[in-house]
Amino acid sequence: MALPMVDATLHAFVLLFTGDPDLWRIIWVSLKTSVIGLLLAAPPAILLGYFIAMYRFRGRRIAIWLAQAALSLPTVLIGLLLYLLLSRRGPLGDLQWLFSQPGIVVGQCVVALPVLLAFTLAAVQALDPRYAETAIALGASRWQVMARMLYEGRFGVMAAVLSGFGRVISEVGCALMVGGNIEGQTRTITTAIALETSKGEFAQGIALGIVLVTIALLMNGALMLLQGDAHAARERA
Amino acid sequence: MSFTIHTSISAAVYENENVKPRDERRRALLGVRGLRKRHGERLLFDIDVIDIATHGAYVLTGVNGAGKSTLLRVLGGLERAEIDSLRFEGQDVLRVHPYPRALRKAIVYVHQHPILFSTSVPHNIGYGLELRRLPKEAIAGTVEAAMAWAGVTHLRDSDPAKLSGGERQRVALARAKVLQPRLLLLDEPTSNLDGQAREQVIELIPTLVEAGSSVVIACHDRDLIGLPGVQRFKLRDGHLEVR
Repeated sequence: MALPMVDATLHAFVLLFTGDPDLWRIIWVSLKTSVIGLLLAAPPAILLGYFIAMYRFRGRRIAIWLAQAALSLPTVLIGLLLYLLLSRRGPLGDLQWLFSQPGIVVGQCVVALPVLLAFTLAAVQALDPRYAETAIALGASRWQVMARMLYEGRFGVMAAVLSGFGRVISEVGCALMVGGNIEGQTRTITTAIALETSKGEFAQGIALGIVLVTIALLMNGALMLLQGDAHAARERA
Repeated sequence: MSFTIHTSISAAVYENENVKPRDERRRALLGVRGLRKRHGERLLFDIDVIDIATHGAYVLTGVNGAGKSTLLRVLGGLERAEIDSLRFEGQDVLRVHPYPRALRKAIVYVHQHPILFSTSVPHNIGYGLELRRLPKEAIAGTVEAAMAWAGVTHLRDSDPAKLSGGERQRVALARAKVLQPRLLLLDEPTSNLDGQAREQVIELIPTLVEAGSSVVIACHDRDLIGLPGVQRFKLRDGHLEVR
């Protein structure tokens, strides 16, 4: 009973270490779409998170509520909405992004946005308000205050980006629906695992799983190091 | 100790009076008429007149909760209040909100417990100059002089988060001083400091007046309140008394 599992795992390592081109192509597509999606989502999300944290305006609490709620939005639902938007008869159908890498990038972008926004919001809210006041008193403009605050909250903002990356690299629903899981084109780590497992081919799935776990370990290790630094800085202060 | 401070601050004030020509000294710097601040329904204070002269040193006293900090924060443009009219350097300021640029450049508020940016001591001191886009060499020179003035040159490479309360206060004073403000608003600069740390901060204050700033200090510190040449404001029951 245990033998197929052992065989598959051994085969997984063979695939990983012999540089199986199909496997590494999948990893490459995944990393590429995730990183681009994240880079596109980060500036607006961080900006929005900062402004919601810093400014009092009508509807602010609703904005925070929506941002928090969006964190638990299932990615398949985001996939469904994007599918409808990008499908040939949809409002963005002319772009022909459905079942393409740009489509996945848009999906990753939408998936990452709430994570980045909510975490940045929390990070900026947790900052001592004297940072902003000191900057203002010393003559900083609105944008200079923002630069100062994001610098002082840099560990929190980095944690936001890392969490966003964790979410997009590991989500399967949106990439599957918008990307279509086309071999060599839009097959990502997660969609490949889902497909291979359903075919009864475990080796590639396990190999990709190892990659995902490694990424998760690296990300969370980096996060712990950052938070450790932040805690140490707070204790000193 | 208190005796030496008295002499040093009075010396600073008298020196100013001797050096400056008659029309130069004691001109009106800031004049506020009708200043009201509410916290919800409650009227925190209702002040008819505040007059601050150039080269003036003032202490602002009052029991805890009287609104000393709030008044300084309003004057420093960190909090809003109702203001009937405001004159600055002989000019009527028509709109007080948002806080006018001219006032922002000329008036600097320093927190009771100043916070330092998590960069370096020299960067903290030069921050305001950097915002004003001064050349790097000029900033470096000014920062160097300010560090010597505040007695923090030896802390150049220290982590700002590791400084003591007194050291932090001195860095914050240097950070404000380099901007050569017309008016410095110091919120209880000596609270929670004792012994040498407190004396070091007190000694810096007369030299700020000497350098051309007017200074308003919110405080309970008897050594600051009792100084000759220093005018005293007292916030009591929401009104400002001039003593």
